[in-house]
Amino acid sequence: MKTLVILLISTLGTVAPVWAQSDQYKQAMSQAIGNLQTQTLQTSAADLQAIANQFERIASVETKEWLPRYYAGLVYVYLGFTGKDEAAKDKYLDQADAHLKAAEALAPDNDELAVLKAYIAQSRMVVDPMNRWQQYGPLAQAGIEKAKSLNAANPRPYVLEGTSLMYTPEQFGGGPTTACPVLKQAAEKFTTFKPASDLSPNWGQKQIEPLLAKCK
Amino acid sequence: MKPVYFLVGLLLSSAATAQIKLTGRVLDQKGHALPGANVFLRGTYDGGNTDSTGTFQFTTLRSDTATLLVSYIGYESFSQKLTLDKSTPLIIRLQEAANELNTVVITAGSFEASDEKRMTMLKPMDIVTTAGANADITAAMNLLPGTQRVGEQTGLFVRGGSGEEAKVVIDGMIVQNPYFSSMPDVQSRGRFQPFMFKGTSFSTGGYSAQYGQALSSVLLLNTTDKTQNEGLGLSVNLANTGLSYDHTDRADKSSISATAYYGNLKPLFTLVRQNIDWTKVPEFAGTSLTHRLRPSKTGMLKFYGMYSASQLGINFIDPSSDAGKTAFNQQNTNFFTTSTYTDSWADGRWLLYSGLSYSYDTDATTFDAYDFGRSSERLQGRAVLTRLLPRNNSFLFGTEASRVTLRNTVMGTRYALHDNYAALFVESQTYLGRNLAIQLGLRGEYSSVIDRFNLAPRLSMAYKTGLYSQVSLAYGQFYQTPDYRYLYLNRTLTYERADHLILNYQIIRNKRTFRIETFYKNYAELVREFTGQPYDANPYRFPIGQTDNSGNGYAQGFDIFWRDQKTINGLDYWVTYSYVDSKRLFQQFSVTATPTFISTHNISLIGKRYFEKISTNIGLTYTISSGRPYYNPNSETFLADRTPMVNNLSFSASHITRIHKNLVVLYASADNILNTHNVYTYRYTPDGKTRYAVGPQSYRSFFVGGMIMLSRKAKVNVKDL
Repeated sequence: MKTLVILLISTLGTVAPVWAQSDQYKQAMSQAIGNLQTQTLQTSAADLQAIANQFERIASVETKEWLPRYYAGLVYVYLGFTGKDEAAKDKYLDQADAHLKAAEALAPDNDELAVLKAYIAQSRMVVDPMNRWQQYGPLAQAGIEKAKSLNAANPRPYVLEGTSLMYTPEQFGGGPTTACPVLKQAAEKFTTFKPASDLSPNWGQKQIEPLLAKCK
Repeated sequence: MKPVYFLVGLLLSSAATAQIKLTGRVLDQKGHALPGANVFLRGTYDGGNTDSTGTFQFTTLRSDTATLLVSYIGYESFSQKLTLDKSTPLIIRLQEAANELNTVVITAGSFEASDEKRMTMLKPMDIVTTAGANADITAAMNLLPGTQRVGEQTGLFVRGGSGEEAKVVIDGMIVQNPYFSSMPDVQSRGRFQPFMFKGTSFSTGGYSAQYGQALSSVLLLNTTDKTQNEGLGLSVNLANTGLSYDHTDRADKSSISATAYYGNLKPLFTLVRQNIDWTKVPEFAGTSLTHRLRPSKTGMLKFYGMYSASQLGINFIDPSSDAGKTAFNQQNTNFFTTSTYTDSWADGRWLLYSGLSYSYDTDATTFDAYDFGRSSERLQGRAVLTRLLPRNNSFLFGTEASRVTLRNTVMGTRYALHDNYAALFVESQTYLGRNLAIQLGLRGEYSSVIDRFNLAPRLSMAYKTGLYSQVSLAYGQFYQTPDYRYLYLNRTLTYERADHLILNYQIIRNKRTFRIETFYKNYAELVREFTGQPYDANPYRFPIGQTDNSGNGYAQGFDIFWRDQKTINGLDYWVTYSYVDSKRLFQQFSVTATPTFISTHNISLIGKRYFEKISTNIGLTYTISSGRPYYNPNSETFLADRTPMVNNLSFSASHITRIHKNLVVLYASADNILNTHNVYTYRYTPDGKTRYAVGPQSYRSFFVGGMIMLSRKAKVNVKDL
């Protein structure tokens, strides 16, 4: 009898948490993603930081999942735009890079991670365009190309490319004439794109709406 | 049976009820609240964020013990084992992590332009966009504090040093012929394009034990790891036309850059009046190839090779000849190749840097139809192993060796020498906290041509005096093998020596930089020549007198750098001032005097502005150099006369556009807008009755050109200029 009890307890102790954890993972992720989706451009850095922390906590438990790392990295890119000065922006982007690296180790050759890599490079460039375009311009482009080649159906590389072109003046090869075809491609891909799971990345559609409005 | 149910029930109920509330505050070392810190228990979902007062609270179902983790951007992570029984509030103090802002960096004697380091005073783009630099690295360095502009000679003249005392180093390798071959009284440009390099570090003294054979300065250039463009590019300007091709493979494992150019200065010379009597307008052609390969995740192999050929002829002012002019003709061919391999192991804790280079340069030169040909050949290897230790500490050791062969013909007499040179060096960097850093180095060298050893200690340290400011100090001994022209005739000479002491203060805050540096340099064992004749001011004379190492000298002074990219929106300007006081007893000097390459005061004012609406970058540079000593045979005091002040206002503009979707860059520059008739030095006829002024190649001059990238992929950002 004693053996049975010990067995019972030990099974309880091992199996139950695994189940619970998996559910807990989904629940925690959906909650954090939900928080992220309610954010707008006006969201304070403190609120974004709280969400980044949330993903970091999940990542520290779920050491085999790349998604918590991915989202943490993404939130730090958003934080990168809020930084007061160059040093502060770079500090956030250093965090984004660290999460990207950890995620890449878990999921090599992932299209969404290639998008994140391009996004980080673009943000780095925006910090000090005059001096950084040479270093980060090609890096951003390489990430976009890689994402496209890994998954032709993914609209997000087109979102990044089109957005960047839209904010580039015409004499530099940007502006609506070059940006709009790319943004339209993105919009088209959104109509058929199905995220791999409820937790998978699915952002970008809202972001390009105001830009597409300029394309008529 | 009963006890079993009881036990299981107890377990479940305790888990359900024993919810523990954890509260506390997260503070920095000074007790300020850190809002937004992440506080959680390791391996659980239990955690929370600190609020604006640094306070956190969360609950956990865990009983017994757990590890509390606290993380906050820019601070060291904190972890602590907790017994989860009582809920007394926790106070957690975090330690700030080391970063570029809060950690001292040794800066005495060095000026860096780097993309990788964020806290530098210059960026690589500055070299290309500065008016008056004409996209020449050396000319850009000549606008920095600590340099003297010497218009009629080639090279970098740093803090009282001659042009021979500064070495150019590419990827760790000394470049034997960094400049195009010099011709009488004309300054030559550097051979290398600024776009080849991702980082430039210009030392004005007190440099690392990793480098040697330069009494005053090293200019360290590091080549890029990747291509800047993709596809074919074409450039045309008043002096030359060139083609370039860049390609990176899809996997980013290897890339190739190739260039080829042909130049002829005829179009330029028909438009810009020349002060020089050209008998053969300079004509040149060249090609280069770069191949970069990543054989592994951490390894990087780079190969660079270039070949160039040029020819020119002039009648230069020569007061010692009866005609007052001497015909000079030159044909140069230059071949340079360098390969480097870098790798790292153990998560980057061990770094290897190794390289091999070979260069061959030959000048078929005639003065008045007499053969003055020369050639040089250099083979060298280098390996450096660095061990990175915690808290920014590091230790490195390395070696380099070279074989140099030099040949000169002087009016039919041939001279030749071989020098086998080897060096060993060690260097350690120690951080005593984040505010104090000490770098200690030792370098030992052997040169076979004089069969002598030397041992040179180097020391530099820096102390952080505030959030944005620091003081640095550097001391070092520097040795250089004497000028080869002395060694042809006398191999008993020993190394020339300079000792540097440098004190530096700098403050970098919010895109404004202020830096002041003061220095004392002592020269010893300088080569003196005894000809038994009066002083001969001819700069092309070949030294044939008796020589020894009894010379000496000093240089002392200070320089100031101020750069402001903030105060006036869009305007970036810098101001530098250098003061030097120097005297020497060397070469043919019979008494101690200030050498001819010293100008006491040098000022440069540089401004740049990007005009977004017309996508044009405009720059203005104004430089002033006080007069330099010149030899007047009629003067009783040796080198007491001074030339007039030299000043120059220059302008540059570049504009980006697209033609048929191809990126186009157009640029124009004007030098000496005020058309000042600057005089660099004076030369006298042998009877001392007539003097000739030596000035620039041309007074007011201008230059235009453009380039087009024949590839849709050639991407440029808004502020590419």
